Amino acid sequence: MLSKKLTLFQAALLAAALAVVLFPVFWILMTAIKPPTDWNASPAIWMPSQPTLVNFKTLFDPDALKEYGVGGVSQSATKAVFGSLLASITSTALSVLIGLFAAIGISRYGAENKSTPLVILSGRMFPPAAIAVPFVIIFSNIGLTDSYVGLIAIYVAATLPFSTWMLKSFVDDLPREIEEAAMIDGTSRMKAHLTVTIPLIRGGLFATTMFIFILNWSEFMFALVLSYSNVSTIPVQLAKYVTATAGTLYGVQAALAVLAMVPLVIVGYLIQGHLARGMTFGAIKQ
Amino acid sequence: MSIPKLELVSLAKEYNDGAVVAVDGIDLSVAPGETIALLGPSGCGKSTTLNMVVGLEEPTSGDIHIDGLSIVNIPPGKRNVGLVFQDYAVFPSMTVRQNLAFGLVVRKAAKDDIDRAVDEVAELLGMGGRLHVRARDLGGSEMQRVAIGRTLVTKPAVLLLDEPLSNLEAAARLTMRRELRRLQSEIGLTIIYVTHDQIEALSLADRIAVMHAGKILQVEKTSVICERPDHVYVAGFLGSPPMNLLAGEIAPGASGAAGPAFTHGPLTLALPADCPLGKGSYTLGLRPESLRLVPESEAPLAGTVSLVEFRGGDVVVTVDVASVKLDVILPATERPAMGQSVGVDFDPDSLVFFGGDSSRRLDVRPMGRPL
Repeated sequence: MLSKKLTLFQAALLAAALAVVLFPVFWILMTAIKPPTDWNASPAIWMPSQPTLVNFKTLFDPDALKEYGVGGVSQSATKAVFGSLLASITSTALSVLIGLFAAIGISRYGAENKSTPLVILSGRMFPPAAIAVPFVIIFSNIGLTDSYVGLIAIYVAATLPFSTWMLKSFVDDLPREIEEAAMIDGTSRMKAHLTVTIPLIRGGLFATTMFIFILNWSEFMFALVLSYSNVSTIPVQLAKYVTATAGTLYGVQAALAVLAMVPLVIVGYLIQGHLARGMTFGAIKQ
Repeated sequence: MSIPKLELVSLAKEYNDGAVVAVDGIDLSVAPGETIALLGPSGCGKSTTLNMVVGLEEPTSGDIHIDGLSIVNIPPGKRNVGLVFQDYAVFPSMTVRQNLAFGLVVRKAAKDDIDRAVDEVAELLGMGGRLHVRARDLGGSEMQRVAIGRTLVTKPAVLLLDEPLSNLEAAARLTMRRELRRLQSEIGLTIIYVTHDQIEALSLADRIAVMHAGKILQVEKTSVICERPDHVYVAGFLGSPPMNLLAGEIAPGASGAAGPAFTHGPLTLALPADCPLGKGSYTLGLRPESLRLVPESEAPLAGTVSLVEFRGGDVVVTVDVASVKLDVILPATERPAMGQSVGVDFDPDSLVFFGGDSSRRLDVRPMGRPL
């Protein structure tokens, strides 16, 4: 927590930075409650003339916009929302779990050398577009396209380097003696990690989980190229709100974007203490 | 003596297939209730030795006995050996009580027994009122108390302390040193105390084992080790300042001299005719405490004062004798001036010779009075 008061200049600077950062969020929130006539009016309308929830309604009832004369919205977003929840939660859990064991293993028992970071992180050095096409071919050969199993597999593979590397840094910060002390007190190696290591990097574990979840939740390209009709996620669904007659449905897109933000804001708020601590943890010595 | 509590037998630890020898076949025997200090500079193998005793590292060869039984194949938690680390290694997210109870909880002791043992140890360490505090909110010396207490709760057969006071600031270190002394006498544990600080070793240990480059050079009672160092390294390590060591030669004296002479560069010291040391290279040791300043005309050695270091009760005076620097400890009242010409005299019995090749002390009394 802040213990000292900010000077006027510092406060002004922070306010300006906040304004820049929060403006898109404000715009999305406003657009989400604008009726179709206000979406891309010129000059821009800042506050909606007649706030409405019709954009949100459209997400689950494609015909709702007809009262404003906009038709042709073909499908509801329900499937995409559940698809995103399923793919993101499952792949984040797997990625963090595997990454945690890998991180402890590398930090405590691995023979780390100069090329270790390269070996772990190199998979992330390719632009995803470069490996998307090979993935499409491989996945169609083994029948994983348009399935959640395939999407989750690719999300775990893509985020595992990050979760491993982040968690490894938290384990590295923890003095090894603290686990050795537990072993001297009679625990097994495994139990020392479960009772001492993991609780002590809890802050880092939350921070990593949050980070990986955001990556998975907002992933667009793999979801797009690997899904047809069975699988859908929110980012893919966002791109589908374009109609032949009314153009891009900005209000509906904004409504879905707001919906997509909600879980992140809630979780972020709940674990904010851990997020801050996750970055500063590891100080055992005085 | 009955069987030793702890015995190290030719204990060795090598890394990288013998490329690095951390501990080079050491033997050490610790009696029940004895405190022994492993004293040596950083990297001499002290901590590796402790890690092998506690079971965190596996010896390359040799054996470790507790009460006469080998423990090398027993996992760390079952050896009944406690280790207190330099950086405390308390569990910061747990309270003091949970920390102290940890070892017993792991051993699945009954709750009443745990509570009783924790209260007892907390009382002993003066932490009785702090049991509910989270360990991360404790100060350095309190953390180290908890770390020691956590080990004591399990009633170890042997307690190992690895530089436990190094991370404390000076005042806390002094208090904790006295505290440890008190604990020692109250519980009568068998303790190995690793340190690079000779004051700690001298004030806490019954015997001191000086380690250097993976070997134990000397194990001796604390009360005599400073006066009777067995090895040039020990002589140069112990004492503040340590013994003046002059590597030189003994050769037949010049014509007209009664006996041979010891030469170290430009400095020559005549030895009596009956000196039992033959021709060859030796290292001469002169303790700063046994040197004194006298008028130039009466002294076997003469020089000028180049440095005066005031230490409260006494002063350390550095005298340049023909480009050789000798440290002399004097009472503060006898403080000389810088640049003053002085003579240096010594009690002949206090001279120590070490063999030039072996670096070991030679048990001879080479002197009547030189000159």
